[in-house]
Amino acid sequence: MLMVSKEEIMDGKFERILNFFRSRSLWMLYYCTGCGAVELPPTMTSRFDCERFGFGPMATPRQSDILLVTGYVSVKTLKRIIRSYEQMPEPKYVIGFGSCPVNGGIYWKSYATINHLDRYIPVDLNLTGCMPRPQAVIDGFLTLADMIRKGEAVGYKKYRMNYEWYKRNQDQVLGRKEPVFKEIPPAAPVQEEKILAMEGVK
Amino acid sequence: MTNSEMAQQVQSHFPKSSVASRFHNQLEVVTDAAQAPAVLATMKSLGFEHLSNITCVDWIKYNRFDVTYNVWSYQHRIHAVVKVSVERRVNSGEGPEVPTALHVWPQAQAYEREVHEMFGIIFAGNPDLSPLFLHNWQDIPPLRKDFDTEKYSRQAYGVGGEGEGEAQ
Repeated sequence: MLMVSKEEIMDGKFERILNFFRSRSLWMLYYCTGCGAVELPPTMTSRFDCERFGFGPMATPRQSDILLVTGYVSVKTLKRIIRSYEQMPEPKYVIGFGSCPVNGGIYWKSYATINHLDRYIPVDLNLTGCMPRPQAVIDGFLTLADMIRKGEAVGYKKYRMNYEWYKRNQDQVLGRKEPVFKEIPPAAPVQEEKILAMEGVK
Repeated sequence: MTNSEMAQQVQSHFPKSSVASRFHNQLEVVTDAAQAPAVLATMKSLGFEHLSNITCVDWIKYNRFDVTYNVWSYQHRIHAVVKVSVERRVNSGEGPEVPTALHVWPQAQAYEREVHEMFGIIFAGNPDLSPLFLHNWQDIPPLRKDFDTEKYSRQAYGVGGEGEGEAQ
């Protein structure tokens, strides 16, 4: 049985050994929010086969290490993402696919999509591309494994340390109590036209 | 039966509504809220038994909503669009009101809830107009033309640095 002293854990030597092994066997929970979900089947199946690199799909958040947010995040989805993320055991990592989790992408003007995912949960790595091809996804996985080995993927520690800040941002969006717009917009100028006067109809 | 023959038949039932035949097998009926239940029931009895969807168009320039019913007849192979014009009245406190189509097509329930949520149309006679899609929505219905989605997105979700999203 492996005995570990408190000093070793504090020192981080044991953590480094753990990280070495963690980075070689990662299970991913893919929350298919947007178009990026299409790129995951080819990544997992025989042509690209990401299991060569030690990444495999996992069905439940309770046993997974990486949360993949594959595309734009609507407000309703955000609630489920936070729930899944908080169900995952530590250490846990988040990968955002494409430009939408970074700043909303082409959907940033929408009333329903949130613009910055990293205000609500910590994102360790963002992949480029719209959407990223399986090569980019695998490259991102390898980068993440490298970050874990070096001890740079510390998103879950950030989340624990700044939990109040994240929780406040989440509540601001999910638990809104009053309208965003204080004043009712003015009525538009009406053109003189009969209700039934459709163009082209007799 | 061609769509122009069907147009004549619908027109004979409702002389006050505008009925026009359109491209290929399409048909357009424009009516108002008072006549809407009769028109929809008659359309169903004429063979339009399939309600594809209900949607709405906000003609803010002309101060009216067009609640649009897309119906399809398997028998005649005609696609009909029934537009119910209703005054906008969004700031008066009553809201635009259209009679429900539930008794004609029960599957209208989900569409009416959606149109109520997205445009604020009140379907008189529908017992359940609770929110369907939006999470905890507090503002005016988001698909109305006087709702500024960009301003909403900036205020509700924030954009990062100064000038982000300015370039088109």
